[in-house]
Amino acid sequence: MSNFFINTLTAWQWLLLLLVPPAVIALYFLKLKRQPLEVPSTYLWHRTIEDLHVNSLWQRLRQSILLLLQLLVIVLVILAVLRPGWRGATLKGSRFIFLIDNSASMTATDVQPTRLDEAKRRVTELIAQMKSGDVAMVVSFSDRAEIKQPFTDSRQKLRRAVANIKPTHRTSDLDEALRVAASLANPGRTSEEGSGDVRWAEAREADLRIFTDGGFGKVSNFAMGNLEPRYVGIGELDARNVGITAFSTQRNPERPEQLQAYARLENFTEKDIKVTATLTIDGERPDTTDVVLPKNEQGGIEFDLGELETGTLRLTIDNKDDLAVDNLAYAAVNLPRQARVLVITPRNDALTLALSTERSLKLADVSTATPKILDSKDHLKRAAAGNYDLIVYDQCVPREMPQANTLFIGRLPPGDAWKAGKPAGLPQVIDTQRTHPLMRFIDMGNVTIAEGQALDSPPGGTTLIDADIGTLCAVAPRDGSEDCVLGFEIVGQSEDGERYRNTNWFLRYSFPLFVHNVLEYLGGARSVAVTGSAKPGKPMTIRSVAPVNRITVADPAGEQRQIDRQGQSGFIYGYTDDLGVYDVREQGKITQRFSVNLFDPVESDIRPRENIQAGHLDIARQSGWRPMRKELWRYLIIAAIILLGLEWYIYNRRVYL
Amino acid sequence: MPPNGELLPPELLARLERLELVSRKIFRGRMKGERRSRRKGQSVEFADFRNYVQGDDLRFIDWNLYARLDKLFLKLFLEEEDLHFYTLIDASASMDFGDPNKLFYARQLAAALGFVGLCRADRVKIETLGTTHRRPGPILRGRHSVWRMIEYLNTVRAGENVSLAEGVKNFCVRNTGKGILVLVTDLMDKSGYETAFRFLVAQEMDVYVVHLLSQEEMDPDVKGDLRLIDCEDADVAEITVSRPLLDRYRRTLAAFINGAREFCTRRGMTYIPANNQIPIERLVTNYLRQRGLVR
Repeated sequence: MSNFFINTLTAWQWLLLLLVPPAVIALYFLKLKRQPLEVPSTYLWHRTIEDLHVNSLWQRLRQSILLLLQLLVIVLVILAVLRPGWRGATLKGSRFIFLIDNSASMTATDVQPTRLDEAKRRVTELIAQMKSGDVAMVVSFSDRAEIKQPFTDSRQKLRRAVANIKPTHRTSDLDEALRVAASLANPGRTSEEGSGDVRWAEAREADLRIFTDGGFGKVSNFAMGNLEPRYVGIGELDARNVGITAFSTQRNPERPEQLQAYARLENFTEKDIKVTATLTIDGERPDTTDVVLPKNEQGGIEFDLGELETGTLRLTIDNKDDLAVDNLAYAAVNLPRQARVLVITPRNDALTLALSTERSLKLADVSTATPKILDSKDHLKRAAAGNYDLIVYDQCVPREMPQANTLFIGRLPPGDAWKAGKPAGLPQVIDTQRTHPLMRFIDMGNVTIAEGQALDSPPGGTTLIDADIGTLCAVAPRDGSEDCVLGFEIVGQSEDGERYRNTNWFLRYSFPLFVHNVLEYLGGARSVAVTGSAKPGKPMTIRSVAPVNRITVADPAGEQRQIDRQGQSGFIYGYTDDLGVYDVREQGKITQRFSVNLFDPVESDIRPRENIQAGHLDIARQSGWRPMRKELWRYLIIAAIILLGLEWYIYNRRVYL
Repeated sequence: MPPNGELLPPELLARLERLELVSRKIFRGRMKGERRSRRKGQSVEFADFRNYVQGDDLRFIDWNLYARLDKLFLKLFLEEEDLHFYTLIDASASMDFGDPNKLFYARQLAAALGFVGLCRADRVKIETLGTTHRRPGPILRGRHSVWRMIEYLNTVRAGENVSLAEGVKNFCVRNTGKGILVLVTDLMDKSGYETAFRFLVAQEMDVYVVHLLSQEEMDPDVKGDLRLIDCEDADVAEITVSRPLLDRYRRTLAAFINGAREFCTRRGMTYIPANNQIPIERLVTNYLRQRGLVR
């Protein structure tokens, strides 16, 4: 029964409210000064009211109907203020943080209308239960967290903030959301003791409620502090979904002029499902393939695209499941783009040979120069203007770093950023960073190096080749460009001018592959098969085909944005929230396209997780959602208003029962 | 209470002159009047013959018939006689209400009927319930008494707090003769009208009860929470006006009227409901005519 009412007023407010009925009664009796009226005789009147006295109680009630109605209105108002209701737990605590997941998986429709709407509804219900003085904040999170409403006790603001949460197509990451919540909930943490102007707020306990389906990884290195987390699982445990988790195009290895599209489908249900995948190119030529996906397994499909130079591919699967966004994937096939490469070398036949393969010539427009060019004004101007995508410095060093990606062979870039140890003989390669695009397919196990230096890359650098003496090759960012440094020469020149080979790398298959990787990655060259794809919400790096300083990107909805060049690496486009194909225009002409796809098996697996892990905590899913209190106060207020109207009518029209 | 105007406007007088009071019963007037009596008596109008019996007045023997038939016949003539016409006005405080004032209306009615009686040389006596034997109302006869009658009526004031029964009883004690009695009253007596009417029945008069109600009593126009004060005994009735209450009042009034009508009808009295909105002329020339009081 204690749950039946929720007190919403303070003591003195109650006092005021409870004073109203006695006041009404007092006013009524003060008012009820019956008007005296002289009549010829009360004979008939007495006889008239004698009959009424038979049921006098009822008559008395009838006589004071206005008073009764007024009292009834007051009683209804008091009851409404008490907020009667039943079922459902009351909200305990005084500070709440509502984390609402609005990632792609929350658009699933296993809960009608969507999981996000369900989460918003539940949060709204909780907000409605807040007592006066309670504060709460609303944070929405996908792969980034957004504070929709900082701590406030205004229920209206909170409700509005919740209503403003829009679904996204992004992946989810609880980490940032938790950190945001923690920093706001425990403000004392971030302030420094003793510093005068930092407000020191005492950390207070806060009730953290996470409304999500749990489709994200473990959050490590996080301490809840004063937060009391609760995981409110949204979604049905038997939610069904089949999704496209990868979609790309490649050349047919046997017939290089032919293009193939590959897609990976995953079945996230407990039964085998047959799906029909349909591929269209620029909206035409539909191609259909059936594939049976065993339960909890993935399967691949491929399509022959023939000789396709450019186009937009759209892949759909016709499975009626609870998540629609991953039933659709896009890929863009672009014209190849040649990298502008300058190689400055006294003479390096191995490098020159590797750069003149058929494959390399397709990828890049390579020009070669001797180190003498380093001093020419023309070259300095061109290098500073970003006319090259990549400059390879072999056995030479420029005075200033160019506005381009660079590869230094056996030398260090100018400046203090890069450091090297003393040359050491016969360094043994231990490992290569195979996941880096530069080292793809590179095996250094059979490579012998006569002399090399251990490298120390600037902050942010990545070690590519690890040897017993240290790092032999590393790549590091610089003002929007990237510098790759090889800690050993391929061909050296002794002091007396004699050339010698420093390594047998150029005899191995891995060398031309490395050169190819360099052209593709550092040169920004694009073979036809490589299609640009980004994840929703993640920035996309675009390399222009022509050396322009501004490009225009149109999103799938058609909205165009102008992007200015940011450093050598190209253009950074951040508005990738919508799934679909984005057009890139240079000087008014569409030169390339890229696509944004979900492609996240974790996100596509929409079955709600049993628990979420944050730091050392295992937060279990709250079993079931207790339905919201059925609140009566609205009906009570409506009844009170109707009664008030009735009273007004009776008073004015003198219509009595 | 000043009169609400002239008791007898001239145009009414003209119409009243043509009327006469009618009694359904045979009365013996004390004096000869203009009215032919059903009794045979002395007048110039021959009525019938009958055989002479011993003791008859020899003056009425028809000697011509005796000469022809050798038998004694007595000539009978129609008697002409006067009519005793009483008007008894309830001048209690409750009559002092309404527009026109009920008492004024009653006086007007008394004047009109009295005028009819005076015109026909009837014996007209107007009294109020509060009239005592010490100050009885004037006995009027002949047209010349009209002004005396009106003067007397003008002295009638409301506020006699005499119950209906007591007033009627006093009247009956003082006026034992037979005749026509018109009782004008609102019957608003808490002790009831039955006792009073029984006295009248015992009187064997030709009784007409004019039940005079004001419009306010027929259809009260009241609102709100009221404290009704009886003007006669300051009795109080608290009411909260509501539609059902008013409906109930109307039903009570209708029952009251029906009860009075039935009581009167059973006892050979004529009950005439009237209210102050009916013009006096119409009351006399239509309603009372229909009821047979005048013709």
